[in-house]
Amino acid sequence: MKRTLLVCCGTGCLANGSEQVVQALENAINKMGVMGQIEVKAHIKRTGCNGFCENGPIVQILPDDISYYKVKPHDAQDILSALQENKVVERLLYKNENGERIKSKLENPFYKPQYKIALRNIGEIDPGNIEDYISRGGYEALTKALNMSGSEIIEQVELSGLRGRGGAGFPTGRKWRTAAGYDVFPKYVVCNGDEGDPGAFMDRSILEGDPHSVIEGMAICALAIGATEGFLYIRDEYGLALKNVNAALASALELGFLGKNIMGSGKALNLSVVRGGGAFVCGESTALMASIEGRVGEPRAKYIRSVQRGLWDCPTVLNNVETFANIPVIIRDGGPLYATLGTKTSSGTKVFALVGKVKRTGLVEVQMGATLRHLIFDIGGGIIDDRPFKAVQTGGPSGGCIPSAMLDLPVDFDTLTQYGAMMGSGGMIVMDDRDCMVEVARYYVKFLTEESCGKCTPCREGLRHMLDILTGICEGRGQDGDLELLEQLCQTIAESSLCALGKSAPNPVLTTLKYFRDEYEAHIHNKYCPAGVCSKLTTFVIEKNKCKSCGLCKKNCPVNAIRGEKGQAYEIDQRSCIACGSCRQACRFEAILAQGRAQK
Amino acid sequence: MTEEILSLITKYPKELRYALAAMQDMQRQFKHVPREGIELLAQHIGCKTAQLYSMATFYKALSLDAKGKHIIKLCDGTACHIRGANQLIDGIERLLGIAPGETSQDGLFSLELVNCLGSCAIAPVMVVDETYYSKVTLEKLPEIIDAYREVTP
Amino acid sequence: MNIVIDGKSCTCEPGEFLLEVARRNGIYIPTLCNHEGLLGQGCCRVCIVEVVERGWSKTVVSCIYPVLNECEVHTNNEKIKQQRGIILRLLQKRAPQSEIIAALCKAYSAPALDKLNEKDGKCIICGLCVRACSTLGAGAIATVNRGITKEIAPPFNEPPADCIGCGSCARVCPTKAIEYHENETTRTVWEKTFTLVHCASCGAQMGTQEELNFAAEKAGTEPSTLCDACRKKQLALVMADVYSAT
Repeated sequence: MKRTLLVCCGTGCLANGSEQVVQALENAINKMGVMGQIEVKAHIKRTGCNGFCENGPIVQILPDDISYYKVKPHDAQDILSALQENKVVERLLYKNENGERIKSKLENPFYKPQYKIALRNIGEIDPGNIEDYISRGGYEALTKALNMSGSEIIEQVELSGLRGRGGAGFPTGRKWRTAAGYDVFPKYVVCNGDEGDPGAFMDRSILEGDPHSVIEGMAICALAIGATEGFLYIRDEYGLALKNVNAALASALELGFLGKNIMGSGKALNLSVVRGGGAFVCGESTALMASIEGRVGEPRAKYIRSVQRGLWDCPTVLNNVETFANIPVIIRDGGPLYATLGTKTSSGTKVFALVGKVKRTGLVEVQMGATLRHLIFDIGGGIIDDRPFKAVQTGGPSGGCIPSAMLDLPVDFDTLTQYGAMMGSGGMIVMDDRDCMVEVARYYVKFLTEESCGKCTPCREGLRHMLDILTGICEGRGQDGDLELLEQLCQTIAESSLCALGKSAPNPVLTTLKYFRDEYEAHIHNKYCPAGVCSKLTTFVIEKNKCKSCGLCKKNCPVNAIRGEKGQAYEIDQRSCIACGSCRQACRFEAILAQGRAQK
Repeated sequence: MTEEILSLITKYPKELRYALAAMQDMQRQFKHVPREGIELLAQHIGCKTAQLYSMATFYKALSLDAKGKHIIKLCDGTACHIRGANQLIDGIERLLGIAPGETSQDGLFSLELVNCLGSCAIAPVMVVDETYYSKVTLEKLPEIIDAYREVTP
Repeated sequence: MNIVIDGKSCTCEPGEFLLEVARRNGIYIPTLCNHEGLLGQGCCRVCIVEVVERGWSKTVVSCIYPVLNECEVHTNNEKIKQQRGIILRLLQKRAPQSEIIAALCKAYSAPALDKLNEKDGKCIICGLCVRACSTLGAGAIATVNRGITKEIAPPFNEPPADCIGCGSCARVCPTKAIEYHENETTRTVWEKTFTLVHCASCGAQMGTQEELNFAAEKAGTEPSTLCDACRKKQLALVMADVYSAT
């Protein structure tokens, strides 16, 4: 039996050492052949990101349907020996909450509830091999689209109900229809791969692991609207994505899926990659276009939409990576089928990045309308160390923090928005009782003060003052009236900023003020940080009866403020302690307690 | 350096749209965008120095000051932030005496704080040059850094 | 087409900017980063107004909002007053030395917001100077940095090589933030000092040599040594000679 060993080589698994695992597996295969043992017919395929990075490196074996996690190079020999005997290396299988070992990927509680469209090929194919993509139905949709009129293509996209996955949720079909209606040439198709929301990495995963699905989606869009040139604007930090996309463009060109005469149809499309300059604001469509044109990435007012006057003032369709990755499936299987997935107003699936204090972190793709609870507790397995859930931050710096009372809300384009947050690009950062919501708000505002383009007054000046106020509250200088002032500034920034970055910038502050106001008040009135995060308001002490004198806290203290020896409870020297909280995080026995300074 | 800069620049057509790419190439090669590079690029494209200077100070991928031999990128995306990125900033400052944006006196290390490297599932993440390190702790930090000291003669 | 601004019916061409329509109809909307000779930027946000279109209300900046549909506009209702007041105060905290902003704050009864920290100077980073300089073709200054550290500066923070000393930047600046000195013989702007050229005939000041060279190069001629008036006079004399000769 010929086996395929799929080794995840996404950025996450590479960081965990998957390249060394590939080497070890290759060596082991060769060695076993040389030693005259029964040959293991296996070939290794480097795949894109499986999304379950925390448990990487991941090795999947087909057709046996075995998935191994946290594989180390020294496991290679065992894996192959087991294969030879049709056995399984139990210790490398995923262990679920009940301690059962799970052999099949699809039975893994992380993957089982997922419904994959945008991530359909990732982890299953070698992104560097176009044949792999084709063997799974790749470029069938493009072939089909070449025999359709532009209007017919757009009709399918309209019927699918697909809305832009970048966050705004604008109906993709309507955007394409508008662009197709302009009789101005050239027209452009642009893929927004400047994924900047902290906590979201689905676009990186797709670009790394299945670049052809995006290229095919863009090619179909170009046919539909009559564009002959296109750009993929990809973050410069995404080295592997850039490499894989460039390679994919070359092989697509070679096989005639791109170029001057797409599959002999006489239609042309030239796609090229533009490396992002490292500016969050360039995720905004008009700023992104300014950046492609070779200017500073400042947004412009969208009184005239970029679909009419975009790149170099020509009609331009800009969609995000995940949106384009959905297109081939919609064209291949038909829009109506896609529309049966998800909810009525938010059809299809959405990829979420489930990160933070959740047991199983990673990328998950589910049908729209799944509840937060399902995502965090069923797929994510709940909170690390079973600590209390406090909030989930969705939608990045434009989104908000949602409290536990709202865990049963369905996640789609419209629901969370009604509560001041937004689904956004799909980042979900789970927080527990050790996360301070005031500090989180301060964090996002700080992020935005650095990432705002600085062009318009409310965003530039308003955020500067908001940061001052929030920093003051975190450092114990909060005063009566601060919260009202924050709200006043928020309103002006939201109402009168130039672009979406500014208009949505107050969301993290407004939602935390709305759902966690008591935490703000504790900081202001009692000079107390309930989560024990704000270091100026917190001290840490070791509870003697809980300390097992393991020394982990001491090892993790950056200032050597912890003393102790085996057999005795450790102690923190308050004079040199900087209250960073590293010890509390390191402690396995809950022996380190955060206290308010005022209570000392 | 003039020759090296010119060979980088002249690869690109004389259009403004390639300015960012050309400056990124300079950043990669020289660990910063040299003043001469901006001036030569402006001549090549036929645009104003002020325009390129504006870009060079706007985009975080570009810097006007020379960076160290090894660039430590510490992710302070939200996931890394709540999993202890702050403590790592502290840790590096104590270890190397550099705050974000600074370069160590021996020119070996520069510390950059970056907003999310898209590796949130293995947070907190640190990247030295091109190598990713997952779930970094204060305990692991010295070992990672020291490895870069040793390979430097 | 017709739109209603503050209850007054106004006629306009589709695509015309709202601010222009309002001004033509005698309705005053305050502005800072707007200048009639230059393309609108929509940065300072002082000229915000509320537009109600087909029942939808939105806040827009009137200087660059093209009127495309029939709508009702409110330039100074409670909501706008409040937002504009905060924007003005934010600008004042940025540029406390600016007299015009202080006056606007007073005129629009901007809320005090005493707690907010003040910066120093007069510049509000509206970028009008940059727009003027690049429209003219010199392109000597630009915005530098981004976010809350954004500022207007010449490259490398030194006297700008491309500056021709025309002083347009200082003239369009709404808050008079750009230092500009001139005496009989020299002019200084952006810490760069220029020698002023005087008309060879009447002695009137003609601007800097760099300015004259720049204009001549654009026109494809040699820089003139005479001022406009004297050149016309000279031309008239030449013409007179020509006519009298025939």
